[in-house]
Amino acid sequence: MKLKSSYIAAALAAVVFLAFPAFLGAYYLNVARSVMTYMALAISWDMLLRSGQISFGIAGLFGLGSYASALAVLRGGMDPFASIIFAAVFAGLMAFALGFVILRLRSMYFSITTLALMEIFRIVMHNLHDFSGGPEGVVLPAVIFNGDAPALYWLCLSGLIITIGVSWYFEKSKMHLALTAIRNDETSARSNGVDIFKYLLIAFVVTSTLQGMMGAIQVQSYGFTAPDTAFDANFTLLPLAMALLGGIHSTIGPMAGAILLGIASEWLKLQIPYGHLIVYGVIIILVILFMPQGLLGMARRMMRSGRKAGATHE
Amino acid sequence: MANKRNATITVALITAAVVAILIWRPTVLIYGLQSAGLYASIAIPMGLILGIVHIVNLAHGEFMMLAAYATYMLCSATGMDPFLAMVPAALVTAAFGFVIYKLTIKQALKAPELNQLILTFGIGISMTQIANLFFTSQTRKLSFDYVSASIDIGDLSFGIYKFVFVGIALLMIVGLKLFLTKTTTGKAALAVGQNPKGAAIVGIDVDKTYGFVFALASALVGMMGAVFITSSSIFPAVGSPFTMKSFCLIAMAGVGNIPGILSASILLGVSENFLKAFRGTRGWADIVFFVLIITVILGRSIKGKKG
Amino acid sequence: MKKALAVIAIVAMAVPVFAQGTIKIGGTWPLGDITGKQGSMAAQQAVDEINAAGGILGKQLELIVIDDELKADKGAAAVEKLVTVDNVDVLMGGMASGVALGQVPAMKKYGKIVIATGAASYKVEEALGADASWYFHLHPWDYNQGASYAQGWEEIQKKYSSVKIKKIFLAYEEGAFGKSSWDATKVQFGTGGRYAIDGAPFKSAALGGGDYGSMLEAAKAFKPDLFLWAGYDADALPMLEQAKAMNFNPGIYLGAPPGWPIGFQNSKLANNVMLYGMWAPSINDISAASKKFYDGFVKKYKSEPATYFAPLSYSAVYVYADAVKLAGTTDTAAVIKALEATKYASPLGQTITFTPSNIIKHQGIKNQKILQWQNGRQEVIWPFESATASPVYPFPKWKK
Repeated sequence: MKLKSSYIAAALAAVVFLAFPAFLGAYYLNVARSVMTYMALAISWDMLLRSGQISFGIAGLFGLGSYASALAVLRGGMDPFASIIFAAVFAGLMAFALGFVILRLRSMYFSITTLALMEIFRIVMHNLHDFSGGPEGVVLPAVIFNGDAPALYWLCLSGLIITIGVSWYFEKSKMHLALTAIRNDETSARSNGVDIFKYLLIAFVVTSTLQGMMGAIQVQSYGFTAPDTAFDANFTLLPLAMALLGGIHSTIGPMAGAILLGIASEWLKLQIPYGHLIVYGVIIILVILFMPQGLLGMARRMMRSGRKAGATHE
Repeated sequence: MANKRNATITVALITAAVVAILIWRPTVLIYGLQSAGLYASIAIPMGLILGIVHIVNLAHGEFMMLAAYATYMLCSATGMDPFLAMVPAALVTAAFGFVIYKLTIKQALKAPELNQLILTFGIGISMTQIANLFFTSQTRKLSFDYVSASIDIGDLSFGIYKFVFVGIALLMIVGLKLFLTKTTTGKAALAVGQNPKGAAIVGIDVDKTYGFVFALASALVGMMGAVFITSSSIFPAVGSPFTMKSFCLIAMAGVGNIPGILSASILLGVSENFLKAFRGTRGWADIVFFVLIITVILGRSIKGKKG
Repeated sequence: MKKALAVIAIVAMAVPVFAQGTIKIGGTWPLGDITGKQGSMAAQQAVDEINAAGGILGKQLELIVIDDELKADKGAAAVEKLVTVDNVDVLMGGMASGVALGQVPAMKKYGKIVIATGAASYKVEEALGADASWYFHLHPWDYNQGASYAQGWEEIQKKYSSVKIKKIFLAYEEGAFGKSSWDATKVQFGTGGRYAIDGAPFKSAALGGGDYGSMLEAAKAFKPDLFLWAGYDADALPMLEQAKAMNFNPGIYLGAPPGWPIGFQNSKLANNVMLYGMWAPSINDISAASKKFYDGFVKKYKSEPATYFAPLSYSAVYVYADAVKLAGTTDTAAVIKALEATKYASPLGQTITFTPSNIIKHQGIKNQKILQWQNGRQEVIWPFESATASPVYPFPKWKK
């Protein structure tokens, strides 16, 4: 019964979000696209987090996807929409190859290595002037769909829906059990017959594909990218903060966190032109201190205290 | 037997390489060591916190920025030399660090590592933005004659002032080693770092130790920040690149290995300058850092698996 | 169908303006950076001055400022908001080329008049294309600057025979700013064999670098007559300190950062350093408009304008206001025609007019200035019409 109602709620929400362009102007759709991009990154980061691995390389795969898509169009004459699929696949393949090398690492060392990889990608793009346009970046001949605001919005929304779908699938399927087992205790997971490397690789490749896809969508939507834009550290740190604030190890958590922080940042900017980021930083501090389980954790606690009898799932 | 032979061969190779570099491009070694000193003296306090309190302080660079601005204001108002200002700077930063610990970090210690990371990230952003509001992004610099102190060896003139950072790094390493192994508080801190639950059972006040270590590390950062303003311009975002660099150097050295941070810094500094010495590779000096980190981390993990 | 909708939209947006009685100026600047912060402040100063004098066409000006956060996507979002939500009549501002590149598609979509105070990269001009008749570019393109400096050095060498330049070394920061300076210098100074050019990249202290040893070594080995560095204010003094330590003494030591550090003039190392620029407080001596702007800024904000973006943004507002007055309306097509006739005596010490550049039709400033720090002040040494002092040559030796 519970599953059915959550599916209905999701379908209703999807219809509402699909209809946004009908009553929201270009600016609000732009803000929505920004929130959705970060949301997808936050969700995809969380998917790998469920295995216990903290990645600092979101910006790396995101930027890689941006450049793959941009260069496919510029140097290969590919159709912009096709280049998004190409970029996603490319990011996935890179992750597959890199995974064999780096997935043996754990905790802080894994995180630093993903960070180092991101910087390596950025510097390579920065230095290969003739191929990648160098530090000044590349400008695409046109923005995808000619910059039509609703079309760009739906493109971004599709990317987000795919990400949410994959994350949801991860939560409902065998992946969930495997990843949670690995996260809790690798030794006992291994002795229970879980092929740790296989599941980590699947998670890493899938999340990298999603991040590359969002990077490609980003570059096609703005028609421009540069090493500092594509590999901006904010693409790594903000999704982390959003997932944490919303509640990690879930799909809904990062979604809530992205909406909270994404809208707060834009709203604050308009209210306090000089110094809005101070409030942003303070919000992050306060939420971490007073809501360590994130919004989701707080919501769960409220539900639990409102429900005298019966245990809640998870 | 084989191990001893391996060690001797490694030492011989390294000495040969160093001599070769010295003869052919001495500045690679000179500038490399100077950079190493700077990197190490910033990274060591962060390593202290990571090793004992076990948190990655993403606001580390901002603490240095705070110390730098405090020193700048003191020195431009009173004409004091930054080296003299090291003491007040250390005290101010230590106090600040202690307050931050008590107000925020202490609460987050029971939470997962990730929370602490994002907490310090939030602290870092707030500090940078507050500094930006008060001081604007325009840089400031005081000029001191001794910063351009130089030596002429034949045709070559090079600055020697920056070796002072190597001195500071060595002071930190020796000082910390003495503190951690010879004093009661230090030994307690070491115990807490290795096993907080065990230390608590033995009767060590873990919270007090954490607070003290945090303040101590902040004091070291404060000292470092005071000297920093002599050779570098200061601006609100000046600290952030150093946070990442420090984090990476600590990972390279291995958590808890404070002297190793200096070795990692030397390796990094010399490699960077080696690449900068040639026209073709100048732009790739940055990348050597990250390639080195990955190599070292992977190498250690492979060796670990085999052993 | 789309065109009809666009026409209706433009008309619909024009009507509320007349109904409300204010003329809205939408500005995007990087408010977290001193250049953008002071740019927006100077624009506000201009708006307040014009309003105090009675406004334009009987209406008051209103400035709406949005932070572009030095990010292309935020810049684009700001343009969307200003045009579709705030219904501004004109767009202004800008500093970074990267942000401008992100904004160009949005600007093209709406066709509002843009008076740009930033963007020097040729890539922005290429992205705009020849049809962007609504785009008025105040800031000179990189190649404008290069050509201007080439002319400047020719004239200086002709007038002051002791100044002889044959070899030029450019130290450029690794990012987009440095790279485009390097490209422009190579083209403007390197072709024709008049000068021998060499260069080396360095990581700017503003981005975590600040180690100039190997770059200065390469410069020293080249033995240039003119040493030029393109970086940021954070590099100014540390580089000089290292140059002194290495005993590197070019005949001309020339810096081209967008701004200089606080306290630079107090340093003994600063004397007789030359610089490229667009404005300095010493222009108050030769331009009444500059003095009016400077005194007004200091009085209003209790701080000095630190970069040329302040007087440039101030000029943008006046250029637009004058055009609206001339056109008698805020209607886009009419104002474009009036803007083309602009002859504004700006605080930069030159009269702003719009002439074609390589691709676009409305390029404002094409000429730069060569200045020199003398006794703690930035003196203009070229162009000679705006000069406030003669050059001191050569750059003083570190060790006597």
